[in-house]
Amino acid sequence: MDDHIPSETSGETLDRSYFSDENQHDFKVVGQPSPRLDARGHVTGTTRYFEDNHFRGTLHIKVCRSKRHHAKLTRIDPAPAMNVPGVVRVLTAKDVPANWYTVLRLINVGPNDEPVLAEDSVRYLGEPICAVVAESEAAAIEGASRVQVDYEDLPVVLDVEEALKPDAQIVNPVHGKNYFEYEGHPFRRIRFGDVEKGFAEADHIFEHRYQSRPIEQAPVETTGCIVKPEGDGRLTIYSDTQACFFTLDNTALILDVPTAKLRVVGGTVGGGFGGKVDVMVEPLACIAAMLTNRPVKFVYDRAEEMQVSSPRAAERIYIKDGVMKDGRIVARKMTFYIDSGAYSRHTPYGVTKASAHVPGPYSIPNVWADCHCVYTNRTPSSAMRGFGVTIGDFALESQMDRIAKTLGLDPLIFRLKNAYRDGDTKAHRKKVEGAALIEVIQRAAELVGHDLPEEYRKMSSVKREAK
Amino acid sequence: MASRIVTLLVNGTPQEVIVRPGTTLVSVLRDQLELTGTKRGCADGSCGACSVVVDGKAVRSCLIPAETVDEAEVTTVEGITPVGGLGPLQEALVEGFATQCGFCNSGMLMVATALIAENPDPSDADIMRAISGNVCRCTGYHPIIRAIRDAAAKMRGAQQIAAE
Amino acid sequence: MLDRVDVPSDLNAALETLAGCRAGAILSGGTLLMPEINTRATGLTTLVSLKKLDLAGISVSGTRVTIGATTTLDAFGRDERLALLKPVVESIASPPVRNMASVAGNLFAAQPYGDLAVALLALDAEVEIAGPKGKRQAPVSEIVKKGVAADEIVTALTFDLPDGGSWFYAKTMRRNTNSAAIVCVAARVQVEGGVVKSASIALGGAGPRPLRVPSVEAALVGKPLDAESVTAAAAKFEADCEPFTDAYASAWYRTRVIPVHIRRALVGA
Ligand SMILES: Cc1cc2nc3c(=O)[nH]c(=O)nc-3n(C[C@H](O)[C@H](O)[C@H](O)COP(=O)(O)OP(=O)(O)OC[C@H]3O[C@@H](n4cnc5c(N)ncnc54)[C@H](O)[C@@H]3O)c2cc1C
Repeated sequence: MDDHIPSETSGETLDRSYFSDENQHDFKVVGQPSPRLDARGHVTGTTRYFEDNHFRGTLHIKVCRSKRHHAKLTRIDPAPAMNVPGVVRVLTAKDVPANWYTVLRLINVGPNDEPVLAEDSVRYLGEPICAVVAESEAAAIEGASRVQVDYEDLPVVLDVEEALKPDAQIVNPVHGKNYFEYEGHPFRRIRFGDVEKGFAEADHIFEHRYQSRPIEQAPVETTGCIVKPEGDGRLTIYSDTQACFFTLDNTALILDVPTAKLRVVGGTVGGGFGGKVDVMVEPLACIAAMLTNRPVKFVYDRAEEMQVSSPRAAERIYIKDGVMKDGRIVARKMTFYIDSGAYSRHTPYGVTKASAHVPGPYSIPNVWADCHCVYTNRTPSSAMRGFGVTIGDFALESQMDRIAKTLGLDPLIFRLKNAYRDGDTKAHRKKVEGAALIEVIQRAAELVGHDLPEEYRKMSSVKREAK
Repeated sequence: MASRIVTLLVNGTPQEVIVRPGTTLVSVLRDQLELTGTKRGCADGSCGACSVVVDGKAVRSCLIPAETVDEAEVTTVEGITPVGGLGPLQEALVEGFATQCGFCNSGMLMVATALIAENPDPSDADIMRAISGNVCRCTGYHPIIRAIRDAAAKMRGAQQIAAE
Repeated sequence: MLDRVDVPSDLNAALETLAGCRAGAILSGGTLLMPEINTRATGLTTLVSLKKLDLAGISVSGTRVTIGATTTLDAFGRDERLALLKPVVESIASPPVRNMASVAGNLFAAQPYGDLAVALLALDAEVEIAGPKGKRQAPVSEIVKKGVAADEIVTALTFDLPDGGSWFYAKTMRRNTNSAAIVCVAARVQVEGGVVKSASIALGGAGPRPLRVPSVEAALVGKPLDAESVTAAAAKFEADCEPFTDAYASAWYRTRVIPVHIRRALVGA
C-alpha cells in the first residue's frame, strides 16, 4: 500500500525526431492541455445520463430469463406474475411485431438469427423469455420470479472445437451448423505465400495454443433506457447506448414502425467499452410504452450486466511459426476459434477483423489463417475495445516472447527484425501505411534504459535500410 | 403497505418525504428529491457510484432503507458545489483530467470529502484505501488520486491563510 | 416484497415484531441483506432494523472485550484498545462499507466473506443472544455453523484480547484492498518454553463456513513454532477443510495454497 502515484508529466508537443516528414502542421491543440468540455458537468453531478430523466408514473421492466443453457420451451405461463400486486403486463414473443434482433442486417451481414424474446427454445443461460412490466422495480422483480416456464432440456455445446465436430448438437437452427459462413466458406481465410514451403525451410518450428475467457466490459452505469410516449404518437428513447443510430434503426425494424416515429436521446454514456452497442433494452421498453401509454424504464441490474450483456468473445488460437536461426519469421499459420455464443451479434464482424490482423504487425512472407466464428450455448459475444484483435495480439505477442526466449534473442530486437514497414504488403493484400512499430519500440527502449545496438536504433518504418 | 414520512436534512435543507417500505436512500435522493448527481450503479454496494455522506460518514445510499436514516444529515455532490463555482475537490478533478465518462465522479467526490474532513493531509496510500471501494471502469485512478491529493493541499493552504 | 420496515428503539419490541411476522429479517448494517432485497425476490415482507436499539459500543475490562452487535466495523477499527485486531477489520471491504457493516452481521456472511468471524473463531468468542425466552450465550463456533433462530437477535460478542506475540492474522486476496478472501487465516498460538502450548487456528475460504482446523492445531502442540513444524502441521489441514470454487479461486487452488498461507501467517514467508 505504499505505492506512490507519480506526478503528471507535463504535456509534450509532437516529437519531431520521429516521422519528420509525416506531419508538417503547426499544432495548436495537440500537445497542449485543454480542459474537457464535459468535466464541469461530471464533477457537479449535473451531466444528464439517461436515468437522470425522471417521469412520474414510470413503469419498470424485469425480464424472466432462461435457467437453462439449451432447452425447448414447453410452457410459458405468465399468469402467476399477473397476480403480483403492481404487475401491469407480461410481454411475450407474441407482443414483438418483428421478433428479430437485426444489428448485423444493418451492415449487410446476415441472416437474422436472434429473437428479441424466446419463442420455442432457449439457447443460452439468461436468454430473455418474457418481460414483466410493473408499477415498481420490486413488483417487476417479484413478477419475473413467478413466471412459470417448463423446459425440455437439449444437449449443450459449450466448447468451440466440440461445436465444430460433425455430430455436434446444432445450437442455432437459422445457421443449421455451428459456424458463421463467409461467402460460402466455413471460416474467414487468409492465404499469402506458401506456408508449407516456409515451414520446410525454417530452422525452428514453434507451435503453441492460447486461450481466453469471455471478458465483461462492466461499465459502472449498467445498460438501460427510459422510453416516453409523446403526445404526437412518437416515442422518445432516453438511452445509454454507444450507438444511437443502431438503436434507432434496430428498434424501428423490431417495432415495424418508420424511424420517424422514434426519437433517440443519447450520447452520454456512463462507461461503455463496447458493451453498449447492442440494442437489447430499447425495443422491449418501447413495446411496453406503446401498450400501456406510460413511460417505461428497463435497466439491467449488475448481475444481468455480468451474465447477459454481450462480452468480448472467448477465443482459442493455435499458432505455428517457422523461424530462421537469425530470428526472421518465414511462415506463420494461425487457427482461430472465436466463440460467438448462441447468436451472431457483432462477432462475425470481429472474426473478420481478427483475420485482417494476421500475422500481427510483422512482415512475414508466408501466412495462412483460418478464422472460425463458432456458435455455442453461451452468452452471445459482441464488441469490446478492439474486439477481434486484442486476444489475437495477446496470443501473438506471447508467442513472440516465447520464441525470443527459446532462441536467446532480445525480445525487442526479435520484434524489430520482423517489424512491418510502410509499403510492405500485408497478408490480406493491403499496403502498409503509417507504420510506427519500430519507432514505438525504439522510444520505449530508450525510456526504460534498454540499450539497442546502433543498427536497430537507426531502423525506420518509413525506409528499409539497404542490405 | 405502510408508507412513512421520513425527515432528512439534505445539503442543509430540511426535507420531508413519504416513502414506501424499503425505499432506499438513493431512490429518495434521485427519484423524489431529484438530486440526480448521486448515481445508481450496482444496487449491491460494490461500485461506489451512489456514495453520499450521512452524519459525517461516507456510505452507500443504495443499501440504506430511508426509514433507518430518519432525521439524518445527508450531503450529496449537489451539496459540495458552491453557487456559481466549483469546490476545491471538483476543481482539482477538472484541472487534473480526472474525469472520463463521469459516472464515478460523484461517488469519488463524496468519499474524498469525508476523507479530507477527517484527515486533511492524506497520503497516497490513505487516498487509495479511501477510494478502494469506488470503481472507475475508465481506470483513471491515478489522476483521481492526484486530484484528491492536490485538493487537500489547497484546502490546507486556504485554512492556514484563514488562520493567519 | 417488503410491506414493513420497523426501526424499534426497544429490544423487546424488536423481538415481538420478529416473532409476530410471517417473513421477517433482522437488518443491521444492511451490507449483505440489502443487495439481496434490491435485486432478488427474497420473499421477505418485514425488516426489523437494529439501528436504534442502542446495541453499539465497545467495553474492555482487563483483557475481556465486549462488543455490541451493531458496532460498525469502522468503530471497531478505530478503537485503540483493539489495535491488535485492526488489521482484521481493515481487510474487510472498503471504508464506506465498513461505516455501515456491523460486527454481528459478519457472523452470518456467506463465505468467502466473514473475515471477522474467522478471527472471532480463533479467539473462541462468546455470543450473547436475546430471544422470546430471554437471553442465552453460545460459542461463536456454534453460531457460525448453525446461525440463530429466526426470532433471535445477537446482542453482543465477548472475547479475551490476545497478547501481541500470540496473535496472527493474514487474509490473502486478489487485490491489496477490498476483495473477498482466497484464504483467510486467524490464529492464537501460545508458546511456552520454546514449544507451542496451545493453538487455535481458524480459516476462511476453506469450507462452506469459517472453520477451525483441530488436526493442524493438535499437530502443532508440543512443537517449536518454526517453519518446519508449522509446515508439517499445516499439511494435516485436509481432514478439516472442504475448499470450494468461486470467482476468486478454484477449490484446486485453495487446496494447494491453504497450507502455504497457514505457514506464512504463523512464521512469515
Ligand atoms: C462491496 C462489499 C464488500 C464486502 N467485502 C467483505 C469482506 O471483504 N469481508 C467480509 O467479511 N465481508 C465483506 N462484505 C460483507 C459485509 O459487509 C460484512 O460481512 C458485514 O459485516 C455484514 O454486516 P451487516 O451489518 O451489514 O449485515 P446485514 O446485511 O445487516 O445482515 C446480514 C445477515 O445477518 C443477519 N443479522 C445481522 N445482524 C444480526 C443480529 N444482530 N442478530 C441476528 N442476525 C443478524 C441479517 O438478518 C442478515 O441475514 C462486503 C460487502 C460489500 C457490499
